[in-house]
Amino acid sequence: MPRARIIRDMKARATVASSEVVRQAFRYLTHNTALPAKVRAQAQLQLNAFPRNARPAAIHNRCIETGRGRGVLRAFRLCRFQFRLKALEGDLPGIRKSTW
Amino acid sequence: MSLASGPAASKLAMLNKLSCAIFGNVYNPQGIRTGNKILRQRLVGPTINSYYPNVKQIKVREITRMVPEMNLVDLDEKTRLDSLAERKKRGKGPPKKGQGRRSTLKKK
Repeated sequence: MPRARIIRDMKARATVASSEVVRQAFRYLTHNTALPAKVRAQAQLQLNAFPRNARPAAIHNRCIETGRGRGVLRAFRLCRFQFRLKALEGDLPGIRKSTW
Repeated sequence: MSLASGPAASKLAMLNKLSCAIFGNVYNPQGIRTGNKILRQRLVGPTINSYYPNVKQIKVREITRMVPEMNLVDLDEKTRLDSLAERKKRGKGPPKKGQGRRSTLKKK
C-alpha cells in the first residue's frame, strides 16, 4: 500500500490528466486578446472553478519507494537514499559507485 | 523616396502579407496575442499520470472472493477473529444493545 502523500499526489495527477483538455481550451480563450472581454472574463471564472488539483502545479514528483518529496532524482523517480541503496544493490542498470 | 531608405513600409507590409499567404503563416503585424501558444502545447496528462508504477497488491480476501473453492486461509483475518474471541471470553467484547455507555447515561 503506497504512502498517504503518494496517494494524494496520484489523485492530483488523475485530476490534472482528466481535466487537461478542457482547461487548455479555457486557457486559450483567456489568452486570446482578439476575443471580447466578457468571454475572456467568463473563461477565467471557469478556470477558477476547477478543483485545486486540476492545476499542473499541484503535482509534485515523489520517491516511488518512500514517498519522500525532497531530494528526488527525476530520472530514477527515487529519493537520494533509495537511489544509493538500489545502486549499491545493483538494481539500477549501468549505475555503479565511482572512486578516484 | 530616396534610394538609401529602401522600399516603403507599406510595400514591405504587403510583401509580408503575401509571403504569409503563400507559406501558410499567420499574418499578425501588430503581434496581437492570439493564444495560439496554448494550442501548440503538448498534452502532458498521460505522462504525468504514469509517474508512479501501477503495482496493485492482491489480497487473500480478493482471491477467495473470486475463487471460493480454493479455501485459502487469510492469516490476518484469522488473527483478528481469534483476538476478538479472546476478548469476548474475558468479558471485553462489545456490549449488547441498550447496555452501552450512552444508553446507561440516559437512564440516570
